[in-house]
Amino acid sequence: MPHDSPSLEISLRLPRRGIERLDLLLLSVEALDLNGGEAMVWMSEQMGFTDRFPNRVELWKSRCHNPLRRTTRRGELAAADGDALIRILCALADRLYPVLRGLLSQAEAPEVLVQRWALFQSRLSELVKERMNPRRGGVQKYLNPETCVAECRQLVQSLALASGAGGFERLKASLLDAGS
Amino acid sequence: MKQTLRYDQLSCRLQVEGLPDVSAGQPDDAVGIITSWTLDWAGRPQLEGRKEHLVALMQVVMPYARHRISGVARRFGDASQPVDIGPAEAGEGHLLMLRSSQSDTPPLQIGLDDAELSDLVRVLDLLRMDPRLQLPLAIPVSRPLKLRDVLERTPLPQRLAAPLGGALVLALATAFALMLPQPKRLQTQPTSPAPSAQPQAPGGQVPGARP
Repeated sequence: MPHDSPSLEISLRLPRRGIERLDLLLLSVEALDLNGGEAMVWMSEQMGFTDRFPNRVELWKSRCHNPLRRTTRRGELAAADGDALIRILCALADRLYPVLRGLLSQAEAPEVLVQRWALFQSRLSELVKERMNPRRGGVQKYLNPETCVAECRQLVQSLALASGAGGFERLKASLLDAGS
Repeated sequence: MKQTLRYDQLSCRLQVEGLPDVSAGQPDDAVGIITSWTLDWAGRPQLEGRKEHLVALMQVVMPYARHRISGVARRFGDASQPVDIGPAEAGEGHLLMLRSSQSDTPPLQIGLDDAELSDLVRVLDLLRMDPRLQLPLAIPVSRPLKLRDVLERTPLPQRLAAPLGGALVLALATAFALMLPQPKRLQTQPTSPAPSAQPQAPGGQVPGARP
C-alpha cells in the first residue's frame, strides 16, 4: 500500500460528515467480512499504527467520534488518526476487492447477485442497529429497506474505488468534500 | 532497450511500451518515453494508441472515479475530446466514448459496469504510481469537491423543498398578518381640570414664566 499522496500531503481534520461516512465504510467492511473487526486490528499492526492504536479499544474509541453512534465520543478526531483509519480502510478494501467486485459485476448470475446483496444488506443493517442511534436520519436510511439498497450500493462502490494504489488519495479527498 | 509495463485486473489488461530517456539519465528499466499502449478488455475490442490517447483516457477516467466515490455522477469530456465518460443513460453503468482522429472511423462506445470501471481505475492507478514510469502525466489530482458539485447528487426537488417551504410559510404568515384588523386608535376623553389651589393668571400664563 503506497503511503504517498501528492495532493493531500497536509493532514486535514475530517469534517463531521466525513467521520460518519468513514465509520460507515468500516462498518461495511465488517459486514463483508465476518472477521472484519479482527482484520482491522491486524491490519493496523501490519501497517505500523500500533503507536496510534495500541489495542482494539483505542481503535474503537477513534471510531466512536462518529456522531451517529449510540455511544458517541466528544472532541474531534485527530487528523493523523483519521489518516490512519483511512489507510486501514483502503488496505482492507484492497484485500476484499474480489468480494466487492463480485457484488458490483453485472456478469454474475442475477440470482447469485440478489443473494449476495441480500446477505450484505442484512449484515449491515444488523450492525447498524447494534451500534448506531436509530433515531438519527442518517441511520434510518440504512434501516429502511427502500433507501437501503441505493445507500449500500454507494458504500460498496466507494470501497471498490478506494482500493488499489490511488485509493487513499481519492477516498480522503471524498471525505473532505465541502458540505459533507 | 524497449521496456514493457503490464498491469492486470480481472476484466482488463493494460500494457505500456516505451524506452528510458537516456538523455535524462534514466535507468534501463525505466520508461521515460511511451511508444505505444494497449488496453485489452474481456470480450471487447482492444484499444491502442499513442501517449496522448492514454493521457486523454486518464484525464477523464480519474476525475470521473473521484466524483463517483463521492456519489456524484457527471460526464467528463465532450465531443471535442478523444475520450469522454459519463453515467449510462439507461439504467446502471458507465459509458466510455472513444473518438478516433481519423475522420472515417466512427466513435467507439463501451458500456462498463461498476466492477469494470473499478478494474480500469485500478490499472490506471497502478500505471501512474509505478516508479518505473518516469514521465510527468498531466492528470488532475484528487481534491475535495466544492459545495456546488456535492449538491448535484441531491435531486432538484429535494434541494428546492426546504427553501420553497420556507418561502411558502413566510408568505402565509404575512398574508395572515395582513388580514388581521388594525387596532382602533384609543380616543382620549377630555377630563375635568383638577381643582388647583393657585388661581391661574389671566391670559393663561404662569406668573414668572419666561417667554
